[in-house]
Amino acid sequence: MRKLVVALALGALAVGAHAQETIKIGVITDRVGVSRPYSEPNTEGVVFGANEINQKGGILGRKIELLIEDDQSRPDISAALARKLVDQGVVFIISVSLSPAAQQQQTVTMEAKTPQMTPTNSADYLTTQLPNPYFWQTGPLGSIQIATLLSHAKSKNFKRVALITDNSELGQAIAKAFKGTLEKAGIQIVAEEVVARGATTAMPQMQKLRAANPEALFLAGVLTAENVLVFRAYKELGVKFPIHSSYNLSVPVYETVAKGLIDGITFVDAYDPDKPEVKAFEAAFRKATGKDPQNMHGYGYDGIMLVADAIRRAGSTDKEKIREAMQKTNYAGVMGAKGMKYSFPDGKRAGFDPNGMVVRVYEKDKQGRVVHVGQK
Amino acid sequence: MQDFLELAVSATASGCIYGLIALAYLLMIRPTGIINFAVGEWAMVAAFGGHLLLSRWEWTYALGMAAVVAFMMLVGWTTERVAVRPLVERGAPILAPILALLGVLVITREAISVSFPPDPMPVPFPFGIGRLEFAGIGGSYQTFFIIAVTLAVFIGAWLFFEKTLWGKSFEAVALNRRAAALMGINLSRVTALSFAGGAGAAGMAGLLVSPNISAHYLMGVPLAIQGFTALVIGGVGRVEGALLGGLLLAFAEQLTARYAPIPSGYTQGVPLLFLMIFLLARPTGLLKARA
Amino acid sequence: MIRVAAWVGGFVALAALPFFLGSYHNDVYRKLLLWITLALGYNFLFGICGQVAFSHFAFYGVGAYSVVILTFQAGLPLPVAILLGVVICVALALAVAIPSTRLEGFYLALVTLALAQLFIVVLNEGGNVTGGAGGIANYRLPLIFGWRLAGPPYTLVVVALLGATLAILWRLDHSWFGRACRAVRDNPEAAAAMGVDVVRTKVIVFTLTSTLAGIAGMVYAFVDNTVNPPIFGIDNAFLILFMVIVGGAGRHAGAAIGAILLFLLPFWLAPVVGHHHQLVFGVLMLAVILVQPKGLIGIWDRCRDRFSK
Repeated sequence: MRKLVVALALGALAVGAHAQETIKIGVITDRVGVSRPYSEPNTEGVVFGANEINQKGGILGRKIELLIEDDQSRPDISAALARKLVDQGVVFIISVSLSPAAQQQQTVTMEAKTPQMTPTNSADYLTTQLPNPYFWQTGPLGSIQIATLLSHAKSKNFKRVALITDNSELGQAIAKAFKGTLEKAGIQIVAEEVVARGATTAMPQMQKLRAANPEALFLAGVLTAENVLVFRAYKELGVKFPIHSSYNLSVPVYETVAKGLIDGITFVDAYDPDKPEVKAFEAAFRKATGKDPQNMHGYGYDGIMLVADAIRRAGSTDKEKIREAMQKTNYAGVMGAKGMKYSFPDGKRAGFDPNGMVVRVYEKDKQGRVVHVGQK
Repeated sequence: MQDFLELAVSATASGCIYGLIALAYLLMIRPTGIINFAVGEWAMVAAFGGHLLLSRWEWTYALGMAAVVAFMMLVGWTTERVAVRPLVERGAPILAPILALLGVLVITREAISVSFPPDPMPVPFPFGIGRLEFAGIGGSYQTFFIIAVTLAVFIGAWLFFEKTLWGKSFEAVALNRRAAALMGINLSRVTALSFAGGAGAAGMAGLLVSPNISAHYLMGVPLAIQGFTALVIGGVGRVEGALLGGLLLAFAEQLTARYAPIPSGYTQGVPLLFLMIFLLARPTGLLKARA
Repeated sequence: MIRVAAWVGGFVALAALPFFLGSYHNDVYRKLLLWITLALGYNFLFGICGQVAFSHFAFYGVGAYSVVILTFQAGLPLPVAILLGVVICVALALAVAIPSTRLEGFYLALVTLALAQLFIVVLNEGGNVTGGAGGIANYRLPLIFGWRLAGPPYTLVVVALLGATLAILWRLDHSWFGRACRAVRDNPEAAAAMGVDVVRTKVIVFTLTSTLAGIAGMVYAFVDNTVNPPIFGIDNAFLILFMVIVGGAGRHAGAAIGAILLFLLPFWLAPVVGHHHQLVFGVLMLAVILVQPKGLIGIWDRCRDRFSK
């Protein structure tokens, strides 16, 4: 009888010890809804990064276990899934779905005191609307994007510009950030247009822009089809003012879908293909998956790396220690200009270095060289 | 003034797309009374078909277009067989097939969503992206192509209804199903044809609009709503009404966006307000059916 | 007597459950109950009275946003905000219903579809009032008599809402009004001949169910303490319709079953079919209409009949 008890106890210990082995990290993504084109490569980046870490022995001697949930771009489901992950014992939640979903998850992580981060959302309000000390955002903020674009264009000394975006929530958020910064710099916005989802043409909006005669057009939209309509109208009307775009244009899909339309367009990006970290990442990703990565994969990869780095420095899976460690992050990732590090100085929780974006230009149909770095 | 002319050309092209979708609805509503909201998804399927045949496999445009339209007609016929005929034969209320077709809408969209990667896919232009100008009116090749094809389709549809025996039997069924059946018209064949035709029209719209907006899996619902608005405006009674409704809607949308002194975001509300006003004030549309 | 006891017992069980569930299951449970509430209301409008409308979810949003804006932006005390929100819902519903119900057929559906979309446009363009595309967060339920309701106790509010909604709809269903509604659904001309004021019935039903949806929205506003446009999007309008049809239109139990099934299905199916649960929904919807138009509740009835033979 005693042998049986001992055997059972040993067995239980073994099971318990095995169950304690993995570090659970939650990922909330969108597999079916409107943010799928961005969530999918982001998630692949996270998975690739986790596999890489595990192959090198994991964190603190334990392997990462990713618990991936699909919120269908429905923020109310998103919040429920955040609770599910918390109940399942995750020490960190990575949000790669819609910005409102990330915010709705915050109401949960704030209450449950669970660290949460988004490596990709760029809406400025995510770290300002809710005082959630457990949430960090390392995506390039809309305000950083416009500041970088402006510093590149400083020599041109714009006085009158136009703004165009779409009616998606991210497009609106980025446009708001653009507008705020432009107005603070004393630049007059002579026209503001919106292209609605499902439009068949952007001709009326472009005509209005032409009538307002701006010196440049700032593009804040994030819906591919609608942006392509803007480019078509631009070409058809033969207008000449330069287009400066948000980081949305850094997504490679434009190279196939907007052929012949994007030559000369300037855009901000957080991906410098000449950076040694990027080259290493691309080679490793290609080797592991056989596919070429795009910048979205890089955001996801940096996300999981930042989380792993914080846990390592915390030295434990205690959520409070992780929170403190995360706040002290100083990490060079794949995204960002050469030498950029993610950090959260002065208690801020948006960690993308304001000088960390680069400005690139489309040369014919390919994403071309880097013409400007940071905000100098 | 130049702005207005340019806008007129652009609005005409957009109106043609809406008109084709409205025609798709009309072809199915007239003989059966069934509103098929899946027409938007049908347009999307054709767009992806265009991408596959014309972009990826690089067939010649005429052949690819014909193949896609033929495929769409098959899709329409199949949908009718599977989702509509059993219900009609059972004598189910008209709501049943409408709801069944909503199910078809979701199934179609998901089927495309799982078969293709999530990014928008390019669809080539038949004539490239050049520009044509004459008599002060300018537009891209695609714009004129859209207008030309749409006119051809509508003339064909009009001739079909006015001049051919088949078309007349359509009208007969639309006016009075029972009487038509008594006169020996094969109801199920008419219904099958109407769905095939509707799918063909919707597919054509998808092929024509997708080089401009690319093929992506969320393009169906906005098209379905715009097409339906066009239908309501133009009226279900006559084929020409679909085109008229489409043009009116497109002109209203684009002229408002260009000239109305309200913030740009609110102009999205215009077609919706249009729809609501039309529904409440003149639900039968602008053109009455022939008596 | 036993029936009443059974009902009371059922609700006590529903109310007690949240205290035994973890926070995740509690959250899913609360949202499930809210969906059941919405489905019950929609079932009355569509299943019992035969009116197709796509604005049910928009009214959910109107209620939620109203109470949040009135309480936290306009600074009104909570009970006043709730009352005012109800007034807004009623006014909006009447404004839509009175002109549309003179038309027959699918027109109410279209007007309400347009309304639902307009609602989202207004939300997105609402600037600081509605929080624009990002919505409003960072608010909490005000203290009621010095008490903060959150977590399992707040779920009691949701249960109470469900109970009240069910009670109202049940009573109406089993009254002459319910019979009038069914008459309007099945044969409006005959109903009119029997002395039923068809238009007034439709308007009352639409206004009532839309306001109930609005009140549910007010309760929802404090579940996640966030409101934003994607929550109230147009896809949910179709989902509610699917729920009622799959469950069995015209029967309260059908609406509840449909809501439970279609709400929980993505959670259960995720490990099995991955993200293709929309496909499953479409197929289910089609299958139900083709095979058993009475919905799942029809299948249940048939099984019950077979067993009782």
